[in-house]
Amino acid sequence: MKDSRIEERDTTMNDTKISARGVQVYYADNHAIKDVDVEIQDKTVTAFIGPSGCGKTTFLRCLNRMNDTIDICRVKGTIEIDGEDIYDKRIDPVQLRRKVGMVFQKPNPFPKSIYDNVAYGPKIHGMARNKSELDEIVEKALRRGAIWDEVKDRLNAPGTGLSGGQQQRICIARAVATEPEILLMDEPCSALDPIASSQVEELIDELKENYSVVIVTHSMQQAARVSQKTAFFHLGNLVEYGDTDEIFTNPQDKRTESYITGRIG
Amino acid sequence: MPTHWLFLIVLALGIAGWFAARQKALASAGGSMRALHSLPNTYGTNAAIWTIVPALLILGAWIVIQPVVLDHWVSGSIPDSAVTDAGDRSLVMADVRRIAAGLNLAVAGGGLSAEEALSMQADAVSIRERMADLGIAIGTEPTQVSLDAAQKWFRIERVGRIAMTVIVLGAAATGFALALLRARRDVNARASVERAILGLLIGAALIAILTTVGIVMSMVFETADFFSRYSWTEFFFSTDWDPRFQGGSSLGMLPLLWGTLYISFIALLVAVPIGLFAAIYLSEYAGPRVRAVAKPLIEVLAGIPTIVYGLFALITVGPFLRDYFAQPMGFGNSSSSVMTAGLVMGIMLIPFVSSLSDDIINAVPQSLRDGSYGLGSTQSETVRQVVLPAALPGIVGAILLAASRAIGETMIVVLGAGAAARMSLNPFEAMTTVTVKIVSQLTGDTDFNSPETLVAFALGLTLFVMTLALNVLALYIVRRYREQYE
Amino acid sequence: MTDATASGNAQGRSRSLKVLDERTRKRYAAEKRFRYYGMGAVGVGVLLLVILLVSILSNGLGAFRQTMFELEITLTQAQITEAEESLLKTSVYRGFIEENMRAALTEAGIADEVETSQAMELLGGDAGSTLRNWAVGQRVTPVPEPDEGVTRTFNFLADGRIDGYFKGRVTMESAERDSRVTPEELALADDLREAGVLRVEFNPGFLTMSDASENQPEAAGLGVAIVGSLYMMLIVLCLALPIGVCASIYLEEFAPKNKLTDLIEVNISNLAAVPSIVFGILGLAIFINFMGLPLSAPIVGGLVLTLMTLPTIIISTRAALKSVPPSIRSAALGVGASQMQTVFHHVLPLAAPGILTGTIIGLAQALGETAPLLLIGMVAFVQEYPAAPPEGLFDPASALPVQVYNWTQRADPAFFERASGAIIVLLVFLAIMNVTAVLLRRRFERRW
Repeated sequence: MKDSRIEERDTTMNDTKISARGVQVYYADNHAIKDVDVEIQDKTVTAFIGPSGCGKTTFLRCLNRMNDTIDICRVKGTIEIDGEDIYDKRIDPVQLRRKVGMVFQKPNPFPKSIYDNVAYGPKIHGMARNKSELDEIVEKALRRGAIWDEVKDRLNAPGTGLSGGQQQRICIARAVATEPEILLMDEPCSALDPIASSQVEELIDELKENYSVVIVTHSMQQAARVSQKTAFFHLGNLVEYGDTDEIFTNPQDKRTESYITGRIG
Repeated sequence: MPTHWLFLIVLALGIAGWFAARQKALASAGGSMRALHSLPNTYGTNAAIWTIVPALLILGAWIVIQPVVLDHWVSGSIPDSAVTDAGDRSLVMADVRRIAAGLNLAVAGGGLSAEEALSMQADAVSIRERMADLGIAIGTEPTQVSLDAAQKWFRIERVGRIAMTVIVLGAAATGFALALLRARRDVNARASVERAILGLLIGAALIAILTTVGIVMSMVFETADFFSRYSWTEFFFSTDWDPRFQGGSSLGMLPLLWGTLYISFIALLVAVPIGLFAAIYLSEYAGPRVRAVAKPLIEVLAGIPTIVYGLFALITVGPFLRDYFAQPMGFGNSSSSVMTAGLVMGIMLIPFVSSLSDDIINAVPQSLRDGSYGLGSTQSETVRQVVLPAALPGIVGAILLAASRAIGETMIVVLGAGAAARMSLNPFEAMTTVTVKIVSQLTGDTDFNSPETLVAFALGLTLFVMTLALNVLALYIVRRYREQYE
Repeated sequence: MTDATASGNAQGRSRSLKVLDERTRKRYAAEKRFRYYGMGAVGVGVLLLVILLVSILSNGLGAFRQTMFELEITLTQAQITEAEESLLKTSVYRGFIEENMRAALTEAGIADEVETSQAMELLGGDAGSTLRNWAVGQRVTPVPEPDEGVTRTFNFLADGRIDGYFKGRVTMESAERDSRVTPEELALADDLREAGVLRVEFNPGFLTMSDASENQPEAAGLGVAIVGSLYMMLIVLCLALPIGVCASIYLEEFAPKNKLTDLIEVNISNLAAVPSIVFGILGLAIFINFMGLPLSAPIVGGLVLTLMTLPTIIISTRAALKSVPPSIRSAALGVGASQMQTVFHHVLPLAAPGILTGTIIGLAQALGETAPLLLIGMVAFVQEYPAAPPEGLFDPASALPVQVYNWTQRADPAFFERASGAIIVLLVFLAIMNVTAVLLRRRFERRW
């Protein structure tokens, strides 16, 4: 199934998708993110790790401007996606969020049917001309969310009635249904049991074929398992960023080392 | 002994009990507080409670029950022949009570001895003149029958009073003695006091149930009486409402129900969109400063009494609608109309709908909004397609509560809707409601023996059942909704 | 599948995020419309409030000003004695006013054009009794110097129609058709006003006088209604606050989870939504017909309003108790206090501001309630002030909102102005109560 072109890109790994420079985030008077520079590559899984409250989720939410919905939050510096500054005045956050999808910490299916949950994004963006196209998009998304087989017979059942792992995969399917280019995942497995987590992890691995995936995680094992690049955040600073293998086997910074060996966290 | 004296004596006894028990408890511990089980004041309070509370409970119950029992006994002793002469038993009893009160006053004032009062005969002297000499006015010269009954009343009341005094004082003294006996160092007075207070608290909580029982009782008996005089099928299914004081009225409820529902419908038509959109705007869009100003302003509407809205309907909205809508468009020329009452009631309900919806919209978890924004939907798409569907059950509950308010609202319809019972579709015509008719049948001179008055209780019961059903349903829906997101 | 994705992505990639596509533009237009609907709804709500208040104020402010004759009256002790001995006392006093009116007209320099008896026609019906009430207080027995005079300046209320003329309610045209006033009288009133005998002034009587009959709108005041409302509020406060607090303490702190508690809870939330008129039926059936309490008495009104207010007070008191953190309770229990002591020594004092706020709001609700009071006879025409409590609680009285209703039922439009004026008084009371509640909440608000 794999396209050779994509294969090639995968190996080169030099295609920068997101580039952040000098990012500062303030919550009222609280300086939450301090001068972060990072380049995130296409068709790669990048993991953000670090102790609680270190700002990794905050930074993630900057990437699709979800912080806009919080009144007291201010963002400085530049974040470019495909060479466009997403905090530019002319940028439309709605189109941005279509391009940069997001999966949240707690599964949050809408109180609608499974079908409507997944179809919601395509509908508001007008991606389908008719019902059969929409059906196709929904099926494709559910397949890509690795949940099609489990729900194909009950697409009209409410999404809230599924198990936690299924709900989270519905949310992932919902996110990929709008054909984003980047997928942000905020601790997608923290509310799941180990079996559901491993299903989601497998899914993430498949997703990197088509998307640039950024995942925030608490679990270093998970970061090591799913990601190619890892960024370590501590107290609002980006301490270290590099290939996952490097970070875990040979960290350059003392703080990274302490965290990985379990002395802080 | 007058009742208030009895009351004061019991209180004094209670205070005495407080000091005595405190003293005795301290003495039992040899004057050392530390050897006591409870604080000395607690022993005192215990004694005061034991002295006062049972005695006063008996006193209160006696005062309420005695007149009822007395009435029953005395009215039972009046022969039926006398009743037919006067027309009604209650009229005779009113006479009897007046004479008895006169005798009481006369004896209390010292103008008459008790024996004299009991031996008076109607034919011997004019009772009326005799009383007038003593400065007591009695309307008409009493008959022998009513005088007899009044004397019986007087006799029983005197006996009852003495019995009450003895029993109440006895209860107080017993409580006093018992508590004093238990004012010892090894007795847990605190537990005893706390039990009493707990009893008081439970009693207060039970008043809620008593009120409901009172509401139901006050209407059920009179309604039963009404249905014994008037066919219930006529009442519920007749479309004709035409009470006449000379009898032969038609008392069909349907026109009133129609008016009630029509007005409530218009009110909801006004209040629901405005209230809901205001709630959405204030909770999802408005900045903190706009919210801080607009929210209290809208809530001021909720604090305005309904009589104010009624007056507004009567002197402003009604004439305005008549002059600018109804008359030019040929819909009639009444200033009180379904439209007037409905519009004004709608204004009254706006804050009700908006603050309930506001709570409910705020209860929708932020994660759902985030999920929707994360997919690239605009704010209004999020509100319409995610927040509102999620809040729908709660909003339905809020609308049902608002509907129950509208159905039970009185002053706006009394002043704005008119008094003509009519079933018409024209909203500019005057119609009337259940509540308006309850007011009109129960104010002024009322005769509790005619179906024209009693029908108000049947209307009240119907109204109560309707609103109760709506409330129970609404509260159930809202509670289910809240549990879903907790 | 991959191809489709690739092409989709390629499409997305070629588009800059800075350019709105057609569809997104439409979506933003819808967004804007939706926002305008919301703003419109808020605007309409606020606008309606403004219209309501302006309507009431513009109709009612006139009630506080009244057209009056300013006359200097001199009475001798002998005159007073004579008048008190006659049969038609107030009409004799009216005669005295007429004598003094002549003097006033002369002084104003219009005695030639104006007949005194005509001027007297413009005087309100209660002038005689106003003078008498004062004169009786001046009378000394035995009369020391029969000729000794007492002098005082009076503001006698002018007839309601004259007052209406100056306020624009009565016009020359309407006077033609009116049996109680003629255009000539209105012209005369204009002259008198120019001469300074008639003037429109603040009328304290509106707040102090009792209700007046159908024909004397100028003399109708709110005194009895204010006293009646005050008595009822007193009763509600004395009953509803302690009962409400006791019930809430039981339900919040002591009640076990069982059927009875559930029943009480359901009862309270339902009672809060029972139509107020049903409480009126309860009052009529239980307090008046069954217990035999008098009609129109503040005690019955107070009891009915107490039952109505209880759920409000219970609900807010429970919220206040609930907001006291459990750590306080644990601390008190930890030093060996009993549960009762914990509640009364620690929880209740901390919850007091919240309870007080809820009580004031409940009282404000009760103050404006009308419907139940209609059924227990508060609509009756009451001219006598009730006595001081506790006996006065059983005397007939009126209440502010009922007085409003009463006045709206009268034919003379002058009473509409009075009704709106009474509403202003009612709203001022309510505003004071609510502002107090808000200030209390601000002052004592505690965040745990």
